[in-house]
Amino acid sequence: MRAYLDHAAATPLDPRIVVVAQRFLGEEFGSPDGLHDAARRPSEALRRSREQIAGMIGAEPEEIILTSSGTESLNLGVKGLFAANRGLGGRIVATSVEHPATLAAARTATRAGGELTTVAVDGEARLRAEHLAAAVEEDTALVVVAHGQADVGTLQDLPALVGAVRGRRPDARILIDATATAGLVPIDVEALGADALAVAGPSLGAPGWSGALWVRAGARLHPLIEGGVQEGGKRAGEPSLPGAVALGAAAALAEAEMGARRRRLVPLTERLVDGVLSVPDVRLNGPRSGRIPGNVHVSVAGVEGESLALALATRGVAVSPGSACTAHAGKASPVLEAMGLEAPWTLSAILMTASWTTAAPEIDHAIAAFADSVATLRALSPVAR
Amino acid sequence: MSPRLVDALGTYCPVPMALAGRAAVDLPPGEVIELLADDPLIEVDLPAWCHARGHALDSLHHDGDIYRARIRVAAGRSP
Repeated sequence: MRAYLDHAAATPLDPRIVVVAQRFLGEEFGSPDGLHDAARRPSEALRRSREQIAGMIGAEPEEIILTSSGTESLNLGVKGLFAANRGLGGRIVATSVEHPATLAAARTATRAGGELTTVAVDGEARLRAEHLAAAVEEDTALVVVAHGQADVGTLQDLPALVGAVRGRRPDARILIDATATAGLVPIDVEALGADALAVAGPSLGAPGWSGALWVRAGARLHPLIEGGVQEGGKRAGEPSLPGAVALGAAAALAEAEMGARRRRLVPLTERLVDGVLSVPDVRLNGPRSGRIPGNVHVSVAGVEGESLALALATRGVAVSPGSACTAHAGKASPVLEAMGLEAPWTLSAILMTASWTTAAPEIDHAIAAFADSVATLRALSPVAR
Repeated sequence: MSPRLVDALGTYCPVPMALAGRAAVDLPPGEVIELLADDPLIEVDLPAWCHARGHALDSLHHDGDIYRARIRVAAGRSP
């Protein structure tokens, strides 16, 4: 028995997506910018993909920039909006628990002049509107907020947060990071009143090597990759046609099936949460309700997160260490620290992400393997015994 | 009808004209494109491009580093 619970990193493609994307690895090889017949279907496919992505978020197709990933979308959004709107000021405001791509891009963007203000969150990674408003000053050019915190799954109250920013600084650009929520949680950019929104493939069932950035017409954006007219000049270079087509097809399916997916995914998530919390000294990070469907992020006393992920892998269960910092640098999770947690909780997290394609027996196998792995690792640990 | 906004900020020649040309293809004659750009070459390139394609350059001015042009689309022109 195996259980795949790493859908936030990469997710198997729906066969309906594979069928349409595969054509662009085969017979449809033309450049979409060509003036000949081989360009026609690639060009039409890109146009349709933009329409499908725009339809999912309530945007206009010409406002969609196709990218290679959520990370690229966030880099383009942060650096591009800030560079094009320096006339508004030199400050970027973001929460302390933003995606590493957002925080890195903001640090780079402000290095040559400007300042990054990070806003604290509460113990469940929620951002309070009044705290965000207090951080927005007269020189704020850009505010970045993640719709759903990618590690611990906390969903933010976007209308309240956008309203708080507009109340303080109506012209400031607002970038929403929906890389963990697009396709899972409904979002309407027109109703929201933001200026840009970043999308990544996996949350809507598309490849991790696909992404998009919506930018409201008039919001102004400088490109990161220059030298061509592709994507309205904002992302030069030949687009990845299979990725773009897959993202568009996935967006159309997500728009049509979002309700059914949630109805299937929410009880599966609850079952997984209940199962892993039945093991002693395990804490769920982030709120019990109001989290990204499928996201289960836990810390386990007496166990190191990467060791637990490896132990689960030997039992046929795919999960992710709960923090890239912990896995790659042996450091505490910055997100959990920002939520006020301390060691050992900040070093002992794993992230499990289920999908609407996950089967109930996978959940049950993962719960049993989790209990067995934790018991084995605690028996080996000199401090946990 | 409000002008079609074309944001060419951060791009260099020939991208601003190419983007304006794509917008012109979609618009009926007489409609206006509002082009934003920050490549100073636009002062030379855009009047020439408009002349060559028959579009009317109603205005071109800059505020600091940002150029703002209003282009009235000609009839039956290619990008």
